[in-house]
Amino acid sequence: MNELVPRVIFVIPGIEIKVTETVVITWVIMAVLTVFAMISTRNLKKKPGKIQNAAELIVEYTEWLVDNTMGSGFKGFAPYIGTLSLYLLLANTAGVFPGLRSPSSDLNTPAALALISFLVIHYYGFYEKGTIGYVRSFFAPVPLLFPMNLIGELAFPVSLGFRLFGNMVGALVILELIYSAAPALAPVIPHIYFDLFAGLIQAFIFAMLTMTYLSLAVD
Amino acid sequence: MRLLYSFIETAVENTDAVILAAAALASGLAMIGGLGPGVGQGLAAGQGAHSVGRNNKKRGEITMVMLLGSAVAETSGIFSLVVALILLYANPLLGREGASLVLFGSVIGSGLSMIAGIGPGIGQGYAAGKGTEATGRRPGEQSSIMRVMLLGQAVGQTTGIYALIISLILLFAAPLL
Repeated sequence: MNELVPRVIFVIPGIEIKVTETVVITWVIMAVLTVFAMISTRNLKKKPGKIQNAAELIVEYTEWLVDNTMGSGFKGFAPYIGTLSLYLLLANTAGVFPGLRSPSSDLNTPAALALISFLVIHYYGFYEKGTIGYVRSFFAPVPLLFPMNLIGELAFPVSLGFRLFGNMVGALVILELIYSAAPALAPVIPHIYFDLFAGLIQAFIFAMLTMTYLSLAVD
Repeated sequence: MRLLYSFIETAVENTDAVILAAAALASGLAMIGGLGPGVGQGLAAGQGAHSVGRNNKKRGEITMVMLLGSAVAETSGIFSLVVALILLYANPLLGREGASLVLFGSVIGSGLSMIAGIGPGIGQGYAAGKGTEATGRRPGEQSSIMRVMLLGQAVGQTTGIYALIISLILLFAAPLL
């Protein structure tokens, strides 16, 4: 089964960099989001039109979610959480379109996103607590627990990344098996369940866990 | 006895056959880890039904906590699936040189290790159930309940991650070869 590894679309000549399906689909998602952002915020009006309304809904919901999950004083993280969620929503459900492969089913995507979240969380913790407070937090509540704290912190990006990757690649393999076993039976319901439902839930969980850990970084 | 002899003969001659046989066994063994999430998610679903029965008006909040908690409880099963898929489709030990007995042990061990997922699966499911129950009682506190639940579940995942790390070390770093 070659499905576990994304296809190489083209190779950049000279430096021999292989550009895979994951990268190309990520470019498409980036283009879609950028164009939407540009169109929806061009000549803003007091009485919003349809597209402006949609954009306002997204922004308001993100701010409400950040406020509700992390408590007040974290509104500055709404842009990061919103970007992460919008990208994941599109990336996780990309498999619905025939022939497209979700970028999240390539370990590189979840690993990169988990690493970004990890760095944001630690940078924020460092920034808020200061050097001494940050170092001391690893020795809390007693210094003996330092190894446990360290492993706990490092385990966060691992579990965050693998949870997304495992769910998406599992869905990919199951759908592939359904296609090879019964291609005549239109696998509409499996697609709805594995791509739409599971994809949306995983995007939500990824954002929720990032927010939870961010708000705990200052405790 | 003849069968055992021919088995050993195959094993000595053909290390790839040993690895493939071990991978088949180990991918099955790894999936035993699925026991945990099954029980855990059942606990959460039971609490969800119970809570909605008591407080039908707050169905949305209760369902959200149940779904999020259950999805986290599924992680161990997903880890098992990842290891099983690696063993079946992307086995890094295929083609490696070494004592066939050690190769056999490394592959089997990587699958066996994933059985540890039973613990986190049940534990996280229990936490999800308690979170669901608490949300049913006090829907106003949903966000704090969920925060504590997710934090506890993430800590509860630690042993499952240890198991995954050992499993991946056995496959990719193969320190015993």
